[in-house]
Amino acid sequence: MTNPRLALLFVAPALLFLIAVLGWPLVQAVILSFQNVGVIGTEGEWIGFDNYAAVLGGSNFWRALGRSLLWVVANAIVQTAVALGVALILHQKFPGVRVARTWIILTWIVPTVVVVIIWRWLLSTSGGMVNPLLIQAGIIQRPIGFFATRESAMTTLVLINSWRWFPFVALMMLAGLTRIPSDLYEAARIDGATAWKRFTRITWPLLQPTLMMLGVVGTLLSFNVFDVIWLLTAGGPSQATQTLPVLIYETAFKGYRLSEAATVSVLTSLLLMGFALLATRAMTASEEAR
Amino acid sequence: MRTRLLAVASLASMLLAGTAYAEPVSLTLWHMEQPPHRVQRMQELLDEFNKAHPGVQVKQEPQSWGEVYAKAPAAFAAGNGPDMLFTIPDFTTLIKGIDALVPVDDLAKDLEAKHGFVPATIAPYQYDGHTWAIPAYNMAISMWYRNSALKAAGIEVPKTWSEWKAAAEKLSADGKYGIGLPANKQLYTDQTVYSFMVNSGAADIYNEDGSIAFDKPQTVEAYQTYADLQKLSPPDSTSWTWGEAEACFASASCGTILQFSVINTYETQAEADPADLGVAPVPHADNQSDSATISYSNAIMLTTKDEAKQAGAKVFLAWLLEPQNYGRFLTMEPGLFLPVTNDGAKAESFWSDPIVTKYKSQVETMVANSQTGKLFGFTTGKVFPSIGAISGQNVIAETLQKIVVDGQSAADAVKAGQARMSEIAAK
Amino acid sequence: MKRTLPQSLALYAGLAVIVLLIGLPFWWVMSGSIKLPREIISRVPTMVPQSFTLQHFEKLLQSTDFPAYLVNSLLVALFSTVFTIALALPTAYAFFRMKFPGRAALYRLILVAYAFPTVVVLIPIYGLFARFGLIDTRASLVIVNIAFALPFSIWMMRSFLASVPRDIEEAAIVDGAPPRVILLRIMAPLIAPGIASVAIFTFIASWTEYLFASVLIVSDARRTIPVGFAGIIGQYQIDWGLLLAGATLATIPVVILFAFVGRWFVTGLTEGAVK
Repeated sequence: MTNPRLALLFVAPALLFLIAVLGWPLVQAVILSFQNVGVIGTEGEWIGFDNYAAVLGGSNFWRALGRSLLWVVANAIVQTAVALGVALILHQKFPGVRVARTWIILTWIVPTVVVVIIWRWLLSTSGGMVNPLLIQAGIIQRPIGFFATRESAMTTLVLINSWRWFPFVALMMLAGLTRIPSDLYEAARIDGATAWKRFTRITWPLLQPTLMMLGVVGTLLSFNVFDVIWLLTAGGPSQATQTLPVLIYETAFKGYRLSEAATVSVLTSLLLMGFALLATRAMTASEEAR
Repeated sequence: MRTRLLAVASLASMLLAGTAYAEPVSLTLWHMEQPPHRVQRMQELLDEFNKAHPGVQVKQEPQSWGEVYAKAPAAFAAGNGPDMLFTIPDFTTLIKGIDALVPVDDLAKDLEAKHGFVPATIAPYQYDGHTWAIPAYNMAISMWYRNSALKAAGIEVPKTWSEWKAAAEKLSADGKYGIGLPANKQLYTDQTVYSFMVNSGAADIYNEDGSIAFDKPQTVEAYQTYADLQKLSPPDSTSWTWGEAEACFASASCGTILQFSVINTYETQAEADPADLGVAPVPHADNQSDSATISYSNAIMLTTKDEAKQAGAKVFLAWLLEPQNYGRFLTMEPGLFLPVTNDGAKAESFWSDPIVTKYKSQVETMVANSQTGKLFGFTTGKVFPSIGAISGQNVIAETLQKIVVDGQSAADAVKAGQARMSEIAAK
Repeated sequence: MKRTLPQSLALYAGLAVIVLLIGLPFWWVMSGSIKLPREIISRVPTMVPQSFTLQHFEKLLQSTDFPAYLVNSLLVALFSTVFTIALALPTAYAFFRMKFPGRAALYRLILVAYAFPTVVVLIPIYGLFARFGLIDTRASLVIVNIAFALPFSIWMMRSFLASVPRDIEEAAIVDGAPPRVILLRIMAPLIAPGIASVAIFTFIASWTEYLFASVLIVSDARRTIPVGFAGIIGQYQIDWGLLLAGATLATIPVVILFAFVGRWFVTGLTEGAVK
């Protein structure tokens, strides 16, 4: 169909809406990054690229970027692994599969604030259930602090965030699985392929488009996770969990350096946009190739 | 619902008052006492005030400390900020910095003459030649313990750090922890660490000229002792806020903790004998002779440029500090909020509260402790704007984590803390 | 197909792990909310409540406006969902089936809307909304939620549209039906399950949004569940019983809702694509 005017009419409302609500504030953020505004609501002066020089020349931005990458990769690995297992199970036929497919999503429909409180309580040594359970199972000898060391704090946060998101990822994968024609499996079975062979030769390759889509969206979504980290560790201990969104929030609202925070934001956005553009180009390329 | 009721109430009082107050001044009050029972008590007081003063109508909008640092400046910048705003000293420097604040010199003078402020509560709000807020309630950290536990272990209430350490070691037995000290990157840890610092003579973190005076032997000593004692704390104390410490104490897992008050939790969750609850001043360094503590004087700021509203707000603040009302205001959280005025400390409305009556001796000790209270950044009579960012980014707690989490020496960590504070002050 | 015994065992073991992983934390929270305070913080936690009390729920309902938070959350989530679908459907259709200059660039631009930290726009949005008198309105939350859900919704919707066989649509075009009719009468019903799952995604995203709701809403009467819940976490004290009761009450409404619409989410995702 080739009626550009009509097409624009279809696209315009959503586009204008996004420009007004997201585009305009983003422009404001860019403007801020060239000024020296401290506390919100105060006036600043134009200082050119000074903020960029300071941010890129200092170590905070680079370290937070490193932690963000670690955060994204760790979440991706944990969630993909768990969700793939869950999706494969839910793809089977067994009594109650409908119920299981529906209620798997429970952790995702609960507000993040509630998730945070649940885990703060469960992991505490006063009344928390996790430590006694691990002791009973013989995994640990005495109660441990889940946020006590740099490594365990990051690990714990990744696990909690994954706990919230893996069901959603699993259902997206399940959707991908159901799109694989079942006659392929039939044919493989007749050829006498083992379950492992069927997985590596059929399931895994044909799941690639879904995994790729999830990889892109998941990366963007988990890169921007802020509330879970902020409410549980505030970026600690010793900045071990200070990812870029946490650094931005802290700089703006705790350190009262709004312009510096805007600068970090702009740099972060450029990075993510670069990633998103490359990824969508790759995806549309593979879509059209099919 | 609540606002509609309020509207009905104010309409009714307008009608009752006739034509004398044709145009009542309506005021918005933001406070951060968001737990439901505190909001409820506040509403009772407001209803009473609004009824008695048809010309001034005050409504509350509870906020939370977590968000108000971002929300209030944004609201003032957009022109829809509140007319009165609860505060703590570092928050005041922020609001003052964005020019939303009106000094309250005359009112403070009047109220001082009438009620007499506890000096430690008004001092953090007096600088640059003005008084910037009217103190409302005080909170000070004390050491909490159980008499029975100390007795069973055969120890006296510790007064010095070495006594405290010995006691904590003795109390650490069969799965219990002798002490519960937080090491989170959070305000609570700022507070507990600073209550060590004031007890080794390291209370000032600024020099007269505004340069940072954090790195000194007394500070290192305070951090060293804190880190040593922290080893005896539960393993999850690196993520504690106030609530976890209280739960640890209430469940008898922690022998001693530093806290503003545990009375409420002790009463509702521990189901133990009030007489068993012990409270004492924070122990001091062995070479010091007296204990001091950290105190937060919470206050109310005037944040409206409208003169009629300012006048109305002053009527309200004066009413609130009247002894017959003031006690009921303080006991919105009985056993936590302490009086800031001399006649408030004697007020019948305060001491007649059932919880306060039940824990009278503990509350008396808390009030006495609060007189020695200090707050980092507000000790020299000069206030520097960078304290807002130092406090906001929890540099004191961050410094502790360098020792507890990263295994640095106290001297190195304090040195890094000094550098961090200087960097913030330079911006 | 038939499973061997080891395969069945593996399947049910896997299921058991999933049930525990998801169910156990919720069991602990819900059972905790009816325990006496002393039991909640006990050093030796109990799997099954040893005490029973409704005091936490009583306190919660007496002293907070939880029902009002609930209504606000429902309203905000519902309107956000309706408007998001209304905006996303034609956009996705245009991107998928219409040709116009700049199509590829615009499509990428919309996806890029996800590519920045949401914290960035918090303050500018506050300023913008203040200018239009939107602060402390539920409409402000609806607007923000639409903006954040729209890009992903368009994307999901486009993939559902992609699965509709071209000949169905071409038949309609030959009959001379205008695009609006094709979209609403032919395409929309075909991908209805897909639309349902996009709707549920938007609903949940709006239902759980916290950061913007906490800053844009000022008065208690307009708070949503996440913000209202955060409000009962005291600054200097934590009443765990109250929090567990709050967590339970914040969970139950969506659970009830999900009991009705939940299966649409899954069938939408798995069958939204017409084969």
